[in-house]
Amino acid sequence: MSFCDHDSGCITCGDVAMALTVLRVDEERELALCATDAGEKETVETALVGPVEPGDALLVHAGTALQRLEEAS
Amino acid sequence: MRFVDEFRDAELGRVLSGEILSLVEPGRHYKVMEVCGGHTHSIYKYGIDDLLPADVELVHGPGCPVCVIPMGRVDDGIAIAKTEGVIFTCFGDMMRVPGSEGSLLDAKAQGADVRMVYSPLDALRIAKRNPDRDVVFFAIGFETTAPSTALTLKRARAEGVPNFFCMCNHVTIVPPLRALLDSPDLRLDGFIGPGHVSTVVGARPFEFIPADYGRPVVISGFEPLDVLHSIQMIMRQLIEGRCQVENQYKRVVPYEGNLRALEVMAEVFELRPHFEWRGLGFISQSALKLSDAYSELDAERRYEVPGVRVADPKACQCGEVLKGVIKPWECKVFGTACTPERPIGTCMVSPEGACAAYYNYGRYARDREVV
Repeated sequence: MSFCDHDSGCITCGDVAMALTVLRVDEERELALCATDAGEKETVETALVGPVEPGDALLVHAGTALQRLEEAS
Repeated sequence: MRFVDEFRDAELGRVLSGEILSLVEPGRHYKVMEVCGGHTHSIYKYGIDDLLPADVELVHGPGCPVCVIPMGRVDDGIAIAKTEGVIFTCFGDMMRVPGSEGSLLDAKAQGADVRMVYSPLDALRIAKRNPDRDVVFFAIGFETTAPSTALTLKRARAEGVPNFFCMCNHVTIVPPLRALLDSPDLRLDGFIGPGHVSTVVGARPFEFIPADYGRPVVISGFEPLDVLHSIQMIMRQLIEGRCQVENQYKRVVPYEGNLRALEVMAEVFELRPHFEWRGLGFISQSALKLSDAYSELDAERRYEVPGVRVADPKACQCGEVLKGVIKPWECKVFGTACTPERPIGTCMVSPEGACAAYYNYGRYARDREVV
């Protein structure tokens, strides 16, 4: 995943959070495999947002979901 | 792209730009500080300042996690990284921050096992794969990143990973803001509040700014329309004589923040009595360390570190840039001795740093065209 390049830099250092979609859930360990719209995948801690399901959109920073996202109306 | 495209509409941007212009009182010059480095990055990436009236000036604040790390802490990290058997992990930009005798990247070139990670969870994974080595995670960042470190430390304990340690450099956003507001050499009219920090802490911690200092705050998202809308909201407060915390980033930021994140942070961390900020000096209760309950995971207790305060290079004016006193291009070494490829100061390291944001997007113009 393009987390660190010359143009955008290190997104974790930059306090940047990204919208990811849940693909698969490990409920017991409170982890979820998530992906960007471009299909890049990342394992995400979900303890701070409660139970998640495939298809949920999450705001993720440093491998941790900080909030759930709703589509803009 | 979901959650993005609807906030980059050029026509709506022009409408907001016009509204901001209509809210300017003739003869008044406005200084608005964007606290977060992410906003600084957006402003120069999308040319948002070009859409503002000449009398609305954006001042860059201290909210870049990499920029505020003092050289002495980098030296301490390098000392641990050079310890026999240690795998030292940190985020990407942090590897390039200069200490007094080079960066973590330089230490890696000299043989230290320094590895870049994207998240604390990545560092824990390295620890699990290398049970015979100590793995130290160099934690930086504001309240956006601290919950992630806290969760990983809890996970390390729950999963019984005995070789995982953390050198904690997490900082908190409110104390430096108070320090800036108490600074006699900076007059500000309002604040664009940090969106992602606020997903964790909420909007309430910023209420002291209107209450004690009479300045409006608008918590803002990071897309171009978010930032323009937030400036318009600040200008509207000013012209209407209001002064409060407003939340432009409601689609992400609940007013109370993320209570679970705050609980986890309270369990794993405690406030340091004081912490040095690059350019701002020592600020009381402005940083986090591991709580006593997690002391066995604290790298600073496991390893001897120099712990020496190192003065910034004389030519570097990151302090004045971080306080918004000077613009990046007013620094003596901007773009000459100090570039993103060979940074002297931290503001040139991270793209969220004001100097790098100016430099990378070609913002060399000394004067903006009048809108």
